[in-house]
Amino acid sequence: MFKKILIANRGEIAVRIIKACQEMGIKTVAVYSNVDKKAPHTQLADESINLGDPTPIESYLNIPKIIKSAQDAGADAIHPGYGFLAENPDFAQACKSKGIKFIGPNPDVISLMGDKIAAKKTMEKAGVPVIPGYHGKNQDNASLVKEGIKIGFPLLVKAAAGGGGKGMRIVHNDDVLEESIESAKRESKSSFGNDIVFLEKYIEKPRHIEFQILADESGNTIHLFERECSIQRRHQKIIEETPSPIISQELREKMGKAAVKAAKAVNYYNAGTVEFMLDGNLNFFFMEMNTRLQVEHPITEMTTGIDLAKWQLKIANGMELTLKQKDLIQRGHAMECRIYAENPSKGFLPSIGTLEKVDFPTGPNIRNDTGIFTGMEITPYYDPMLSKIIVSSENREESINKMIWALSKYVILGVTTNISFLQKVISHKEFKKGNITTHFIDNYFKDWTIAKEGLPINAIIALAVYDSIHSRTQEIVRYKESDPHSPWKHVGRWRIGVEE
Amino acid sequence: MFINYEHENHVYNVSVERRKDLFFITYDNAEYKVKAEEIKPGHLKIKLGDRTIKSVITKGKTDKFVFTDGNVFKVKNVELTGARKTKIRKEEGNLNSPISGKVVNVKIKNGDKVKKGDVLMIIEAMKMEYLIRAPFNGRVKKVNFKEEDQIEIGQNTVDIIKKVGT
Repeated sequence: MFKKILIANRGEIAVRIIKACQEMGIKTVAVYSNVDKKAPHTQLADESINLGDPTPIESYLNIPKIIKSAQDAGADAIHPGYGFLAENPDFAQACKSKGIKFIGPNPDVISLMGDKIAAKKTMEKAGVPVIPGYHGKNQDNASLVKEGIKIGFPLLVKAAAGGGGKGMRIVHNDDVLEESIESAKRESKSSFGNDIVFLEKYIEKPRHIEFQILADESGNTIHLFERECSIQRRHQKIIEETPSPIISQELREKMGKAAVKAAKAVNYYNAGTVEFMLDGNLNFFFMEMNTRLQVEHPITEMTTGIDLAKWQLKIANGMELTLKQKDLIQRGHAMECRIYAENPSKGFLPSIGTLEKVDFPTGPNIRNDTGIFTGMEITPYYDPMLSKIIVSSENREESINKMIWALSKYVILGVTTNISFLQKVISHKEFKKGNITTHFIDNYFKDWTIAKEGLPINAIIALAVYDSIHSRTQEIVRYKESDPHSPWKHVGRWRIGVEE
Repeated sequence: MFINYEHENHVYNVSVERRKDLFFITYDNAEYKVKAEEIKPGHLKIKLGDRTIKSVITKGKTDKFVFTDGNVFKVKNVELTGARKTKIRKEEGNLNSPISGKVVNVKIKNGDKVKKGDVLMIIEAMKMEYLIRAPFNGRVKKVNFKEEDQIEIGQNTVDIIKKVGT
């Protein structure tokens, strides 16, 4: 096994990986920027190497600095975490050429999967369903109409140079196809100076369903079931769960096989995720493959009992999978919420400041993956995700109740977080019913703002008690009731509260 | 001691008096008698009747942060200026219930004229009756509860528009 691993990341994922290494008796090296000197990952590792300037390009994205740190520390492998350099083929290649094991797939696979069109073509060739579409050169109306009818309805006509919904049309039948193509072209021409359009099948009621893959370097490949990640804001997941409330055992097996086929088609090894789009009629289409450990990996760990981070290390060290597809079972249900330093009332704008107090909810089957502490400064340099909370239960309903409870005990004071927003989303009746799509937040929480109902009486009482306890002068004599019309005059000695 | 808390451009004036672990808090014409302790720094456990309020409070550089019932509020302790006092007087018409209980009698309806001191509503809790009285002369804008309704602590019982010129 590796003797020493450098973790090229920060925050909760760096902490997660360091802990896996420690359990396995592997020494760890953290890298940190100037603002992360006191960060948990910096403190937890056996050695920490300063990367200097906090700007990502000068620190966590700086390939030469990180490679040099690994060499100086004598690390024999690098774990990239997620984000930063995790899906950068140049980084994986740089590790390889310096004789440092990159914990992840081959650089060529990272490169291929990073090219969305090439990835789609590869998957189509391998027999994995992809979203039917036409991205060809024949742009005359007759050819486009012919291709459109071949793809079927509803159909999305979109400008090749498009963005922000401009030059985009959803077409429901062939009567209006030609005029829709023409108007999309006109709009595209005037907005982008280019009238090339693409055709794609329009996915109604889309869900984001992904499958966890583990593959060893000898080609043994398994999937560890799905994760439902439809609840997203700004195209970023905020709540994930497994199993999905919509997927039957039959569909799970079918999608799982497709995911394994996708991984095998590119000779994938290590942990990876195949992302599918599922439409309202339960047809699924390959979207992309993430060639790394995912943020939401803990829900899979909670329901399968398998430690994905440790398997990443074992696979990278050349070990073969001992897990067989037929032996894998998923028990119960797990859910994750991502806690962000952001303001949901202001378009999820990131918030910065000092974490004046942090207190995580604990209890049976509650897992906190965090990289924060009381007193920590949240800076504008990095992703505003502070931590993740993961719960598991016998079934979905109990997981929801547990999550609502846990979020109500989750204390982060000092910066605005999305905790209240998450509570509202999970408590929504359509969420509870499992009626979710990637449009859920836009459909039900567009322009959501935190209710401005003022300070509740409980907060006022608590503040008064706090200030009274912490005031230097103790007042013993009750002040005289100055208001002769106070209702308290009429109730005599009785007061609300504890018996005297 | 008298304290003014500012939260989202609104000032709350509160008075509190302490006798060992008992605290007498007056806010918006109601008095709350609670038993409280700071179980660890910033963590408060407060008994109010048969309810327990758990709260976490911490002081930042300029603000205080209060966590209670899963929500966080940012407040500032402020000294009242003349202008702000006027603003608060306007809020006197809000008659919040100082207890959780049952509405047993509603004496008024929307649009009624009321005189300062008139009984508006009677709430029963813990075998005691509590009278909600008009704090000034005015007209009833809205009665928020009817007889037999359950009412929670802090909920607004009646909206009254103050009569001007008396």
